[in-house]
Amino acid sequence: MADQKEEMRDITFRVLRFNPQVDSKPYYDDYTIPVEKGITVLRALNYIKEHVDPTVSFRAFCQAGICGSCGMRINGISKLACTTQVWDELEKCKTPNVIKVEPLRNMPQIKDLIVDMDPMVDKMKKYSNWIESTMPESKMGEKEFLIAEEEFQEYDKATDCILCASCMSECSILRANKEYVAPAILLKSYRMNADSRDGIHEKRMEALVQDHGVWDCTHCYRCQETCVKNIPIMDAIHGVREEALEMRGAKDTSGARHAEAFMDDIQKKGKLVEATLPVRTNGLGWTLTNLLPMAFKMVLKRRTPPPPPLVKPSKGIKKFREEFQEMSEHVKQDQKDRKH
Amino acid sequence: MSNRTRRIVNTNLGEPGMKRYAYYLSCINEAMTKEVDRSIDLWQKDLDIEFVKMHESVCCGGSNLDYVSPKHFALVNARNIAMAEKLGLDLVTSCNTCLLTIRSAKQKLDASPELRDEVNGILKKEGLEYKGTSEVRHLLWVLVEDVGLDTLRQKVKVPLSNYKIAPFYGCHILRPSTVLGKDNPLEPTTLDLVIDALGGKTIEYEHKNKCCGFHTLLVAEEESLNVAAEALKEAIDRNADFIVTPCPLCHTVLDGYQSKALKQANINKSIPVFHLSEMVGLALGYTPRQLGIKRHIVGGKA
Amino acid sequence: MKPFDIVVVGGGGAGLYAAMEAMKTNPSLKVAVLSKVYPNRSHTSAAQGGANAALGNTAKDDTVEMHIFDTIKGSDYLADQDAAEVLCSEAPKIIRELDNIGTPWSRLDDKTIAQRPFGGAGRPRCCYCADKTGHTILQTLYEQCLRKGVKFFNEYLVLSLSVDGSRSKGLIAMNMKNGKIEAFPARAVIFATGGYAKMYWNRSSNAAGNSGDGQAVAYRAGIPLKDMEFVQFHPTGLRKSGLLVTEGARGEGGYLVNNKGERFMNRYAPEKMELGPRDLVSRSIETEILEGRGFDSPAGPYMHLDLTHLGSELIKSRLPQIREMSMYFEGVDPIEEPIPIRPTAHYSMGGIDTDIFGRTPMDGVYAAGEAACVSVHGANRLGGNSLLEILVFGRIAGHTAAEEAGRHEAREISRQEIEEKEQELRGLMKPSGHYERYGELREELGDTLAQNVGIFREASKISKGIEDIAALKERFRHVRVFDSSDVFNTNLIQVLELQNMLDLAETVAAGAYVREESRGSHTRTDFPVRDDEKWHKHTTYTYENGKPVLGEKPVTMGRYELQERTY
Repeated sequence: MADQKEEMRDITFRVLRFNPQVDSKPYYDDYTIPVEKGITVLRALNYIKEHVDPTVSFRAFCQAGICGSCGMRINGISKLACTTQVWDELEKCKTPNVIKVEPLRNMPQIKDLIVDMDPMVDKMKKYSNWIESTMPESKMGEKEFLIAEEEFQEYDKATDCILCASCMSECSILRANKEYVAPAILLKSYRMNADSRDGIHEKRMEALVQDHGVWDCTHCYRCQETCVKNIPIMDAIHGVREEALEMRGAKDTSGARHAEAFMDDIQKKGKLVEATLPVRTNGLGWTLTNLLPMAFKMVLKRRTPPPPPLVKPSKGIKKFREEFQEMSEHVKQDQKDRKH
Repeated sequence: MSNRTRRIVNTNLGEPGMKRYAYYLSCINEAMTKEVDRSIDLWQKDLDIEFVKMHESVCCGGSNLDYVSPKHFALVNARNIAMAEKLGLDLVTSCNTCLLTIRSAKQKLDASPELRDEVNGILKKEGLEYKGTSEVRHLLWVLVEDVGLDTLRQKVKVPLSNYKIAPFYGCHILRPSTVLGKDNPLEPTTLDLVIDALGGKTIEYEHKNKCCGFHTLLVAEEESLNVAAEALKEAIDRNADFIVTPCPLCHTVLDGYQSKALKQANINKSIPVFHLSEMVGLALGYTPRQLGIKRHIVGGKA
Repeated sequence: MKPFDIVVVGGGGAGLYAAMEAMKTNPSLKVAVLSKVYPNRSHTSAAQGGANAALGNTAKDDTVEMHIFDTIKGSDYLADQDAAEVLCSEAPKIIRELDNIGTPWSRLDDKTIAQRPFGGAGRPRCCYCADKTGHTILQTLYEQCLRKGVKFFNEYLVLSLSVDGSRSKGLIAMNMKNGKIEAFPARAVIFATGGYAKMYWNRSSNAAGNSGDGQAVAYRAGIPLKDMEFVQFHPTGLRKSGLLVTEGARGEGGYLVNNKGERFMNRYAPEKMELGPRDLVSRSIETEILEGRGFDSPAGPYMHLDLTHLGSELIKSRLPQIREMSMYFEGVDPIEEPIPIRPTAHYSMGGIDTDIFGRTPMDGVYAAGEAACVSVHGANRLGGNSLLEILVFGRIAGHTAAEEAGRHEAREISRQEIEEKEQELRGLMKPSGHYERYGELREELGDTLAQNVGIFREASKISKGIEDIAALKERFRHVRVFDSSDVFNTNLIQVLELQNMLDLAETVAAGAYVREESRGSHTRTDFPVRDDEKWHKHTTYTYENGKPVLGEKPVTMGRYELQERTY
C-alpha cells in the first residue's frame, strides 16, 4: 500500500480545570501530546481523555459542527472544538505550541469545560422563542401555509443558529449583566418576528423592549464576529430595533428615544446635539442625578458640549433639510406601497 | 479558512509629496473632544499629509440611524461620501463609529443600483452624485498604510520609549470584518505597530480589542460602566502608563466616565487615556498643552 | 413533580414529537422528556437531506402508493407493508403540520413546500430546508415543546427499566450534573434514543453518543430487539472521523481514485461509475482496499475522492459545505488535494420490536424512531425516509401512549432498586490491580465490527467478530472509571455507553451470522443472493442470561409481491 506520512508535533493543551467537589477555584493543567496535522481540537481532547487523563471533562456529541455541544474558548476565542484545526490555532498561541482551552464565559462553570446551559433555555422561554401559530391546532396538518421565498430569505440565515452559545460567551453586555437577553435569543426572536405564521409578534416585542432587552446591546459586534455559523447577528438585532420603533414608536424605552433623537438632530442641525441627548433619552431627573457631578468636572475642563442654541448647524443645512424631507416622502410612499 | 484569518496590513512607504484627504468632521470631535482635530491640525504637515475639512458634511447617524430609517441613513452618507468624491479624495475620519457607519452605507450603496439611483435623484439638486469612487478610511489606517511606519519612525522627535502603552482599539475599527476588513477583528495589530514605530512599548492585554460600552451609556449605564471598568482595570493591573485609543467615543467613556466606572468597580486608581492623534503629536515633539491634553478629565504624567 | 404519566427517553425528533403529541392528545397528562443531551443537540440535527412525502408540489403526479412501493422495494421486501403504508400515508399530514408550527421549509415559486429528487424515489418528493432539514425540524419541535411546557430532564442518562413481572413501572436514570441516581415512576415509557451505529466507532458517521442506550436498556429488561444485523454503510465517510461527505461531491463529477491512480469504479459499474447505488459503491471501495489498492495511514486504509479537476470556482460555488468539512475535519482543501474517504456506518435499521402503534411487547413501554424497528426500512432504508419515520412514528407513539396511559396504574420504584444501581456504578470506580481502558475497548469493538461484521460478511469472519466481542465483554469487567467525581462524570458515562454498545454488538453479530443470505445492507459473500424461501422474515433477539436468544417473526405482506430489487 502507498504510504502517506503526516506531519507530527508535540503540542501542549493548557486546560482550565475545575471540579466543584474538590477545587476551591479553577486552575490550569498542561497536557502535552503528539498531534498529527489535520486533527481537530476536539480529537486532541478525546485523545487526552482516553490516553492521559480520563477525568478531563467536556461536552461533545455530533463532532460535525451541527449539534453545538462543544463550544469552548480556544486561545481566548469562543468556538466549536470539533471544527477547529489544531494547526490553525498554532499561529494564535501566545506561548509557542501551547493552546489554551477554557470553558465558555458568562454562564456558570459546572466542571472543567462544561458550563450550565439552563440560563439560555430560560431566556428562550422568557422571550417566547417559538412560533405561536395563527392556525388553530384542530386545523393543523390539513394544509400548508403559502410562503414566498423572499420571506424565507428574511430568516433563512437566522435559522442556522445551533445555540452553541459562543455569542453569549463573547457578549460584552452579558458579561456586565447576566440578566441581559443575549445575542442568540435576540437572533431567535428576530427569526420568529419575521415569520408570517406567528401570531404573537406584539407579545414578544413587549418583552424585548423591557430592561435588559434589545436596547441594551452596545454594538460591539463580537457576537457576529465569533459566530461559528457566520450569522450576521447584529443585522438581526437591528432588525428587532427597527421593528420595535415601527410597532411601538419611540415612547416606551430610553433606547428607542435615544435612537430617535439622532434622527431629529440630523434633520434639524445636520449634527448631534450631545448636550440634550441624556435628557431626551432618560428625562431630566435621571440626567440631573447621574450626570450633574460629572458635568461640573467637565465645565472646569471646558469639555461640556455646547447647549442647543449654540450648536452651529452644518454649512448648507438648508439644502440638506430639503433633501432629508424629500427622502421622508419616499419613505412614506414605501410604507403605503407595503400596505397594499 | 474563514474570514477570520489574519490579515496582513499593507505597510508600504507613502509616495513622495503631500497626500490629501477629505476630512470628515465627527460630531463628538466638534462638540466635546475638540483636542482630536486640534492635534491633527498641528502635525499633519509634518507627515506630508493634508486633511481638507468638509464643513458641509452632516452627522453619519452614529450606528443608530441605519435601523431608525435605512433610507435616510443611505442618503446622509451618500451625500457625505459624494462631497469627498467631488474633491477627488478619499474620505478620512478619526472616529471609529463614523468609520463603520459610513463604510456600511457605502457597502449598501455599492451593492444596490436602485438605492444609488434613488439617492442620487435627490442629491442631484445640490449638484452631488454618489459614484462609489472614494474610499472611506480611518486616520489610523492612513498612518499605517500611506504615511508608513518607516516614515513615522524617521519623523519621531521625542520617542515614547519611557512609556508602557495599552492600545485600546475600540470595536468599530475592527468589527464587523465584513465591512471593515482591514485589521484582524479579534487580534488586531495596527495600533500596536504605530506605538512601536513611535518608540513606545505596547502592553499585551485581553481587553485591547474589547468594547468600551459607549453605545449603551445612556440606556444601560451600569452595564456600560462595568464594561469600561474591566478594560481600565486590566490596563492598570498590567502597569500601563497610559491607554491610547483611535476613537473619541471610547475616549469619552474611558476618560470622561473613568472615575465613575472605577468607583462602581471599587477601584481606587486611575490611568490617563490619550487619543491616537495626541500620541502622535507627543512623539513629533508637541507639548501636552499644545495638543489639548489638559482638557482630559483624568490628569496624566506625560 | 414525579410520578409522571409519560416519560419519553430521548429528545430528538421522535421523542419531542411524541411528547408534543401526547400533550395535545390529553393536556391533563404529566409528560416529561429525559435526555442525555440538551434536546437541541440530538442527532436529528445532523440529517441534511430532507423528509419524503407525496405532497405532489414538485411532481403533480406523485402519489402515496408510489411512495409506499419505493419504500418496500428499497427495503428489499423486508419492510412490513402495513407499516410502510402508515409511514407514507401519514407523511403529507406530518410535513404540513410541521409547516403549521413553524418549520422553515424551502419554497417553490408558487409558495408551496419545495421537494427534490432523492435516491431510490420514483418522484421528487423529498421536502427540505436547504441542507439543514434535520436541524430546523429539531429546533421547531424543541421550541414547541418549550411552548407547551413539556418538563425536560436534560443531561440525564437512562440506566434501566424498572419491571414488575411483565409490566414496566418506570425508569431509573442518572442526573449527570450531580451523579444522583433517580427513579422516574411512570404509567408509560417511550424509548426514542436514536440509533446504534456508533458501535462501529471510528467507522461511523454517528454522534459520539449514538450508543443505543434505549435499545440496550429495553433489551436487558426483556423486550425483544428486531433485525439488528441491518446496518447501512455510506460510501464516502471522511477517513479520520467517519463523517459524511454527501453524494453531491460525486454528483458534481468527483472521481473515486485508488493508489494506482485508477478510477476503479469502471470495474464495478462501468456505466454509472461513481454514481452507482450506495451499497454497490461502498462494496467497490471496500474491495479495492482489501485487494491492496488503498492508501495507508495511521487512521487506517482509505481511498481518494478527487475533486481537484473540477476547479476552484465550481468547488467554491457548488460544494462549499463539502470543502468546509474536509478542511475542518481532515485539514485538506479539496481544491488542492483529494479528500481521504472510506465507507462509514451511518444508519441502523434494527431496533426495539414495535408495532405500528408504537407499542413494544411489554405493557406500558413504547418506542419510536431509529431506536425502534416497526419495520418500515426492512433491510435497507431509503434516503429521506429516516426523518419521516421519526416524525410519523414519534407522533403515533405519543398518541398511543397518551390514550393508553390511563389504563396502567402508577407504581412505586423501591429505594432498594436505586441503591442496587448505585452499588453497581460504585463498583466501576473501585481501584483493583489489573484494569482495562475503556477507550481501547471502544476502538477495538469498532475495528472488529468494521472488519468482520461490516460491509462484506462471511461465516468465518463473523465468528471471529463474535469471539472478539465476547472477549471484549470479558475485558469490560475490568474497566476502571478513574474519575470519582459525582459532577458530570463523562468518564463514567462513556463507560456505560460502551456497555450498551457491547450488548447490542452481540446481537448485530449473531443476526449477521444466522442470516445466510444477502439482502439490502447485509452482504454475505458466502451466500451472495437473497433467499426468500428461508429468510423472508425478521430476526428477533431476547436477552437471557446475558446472551441473545434468537427468534423470528413473519414479514407482514400486502398488495406488493416479492420481486427482484433492481434499479
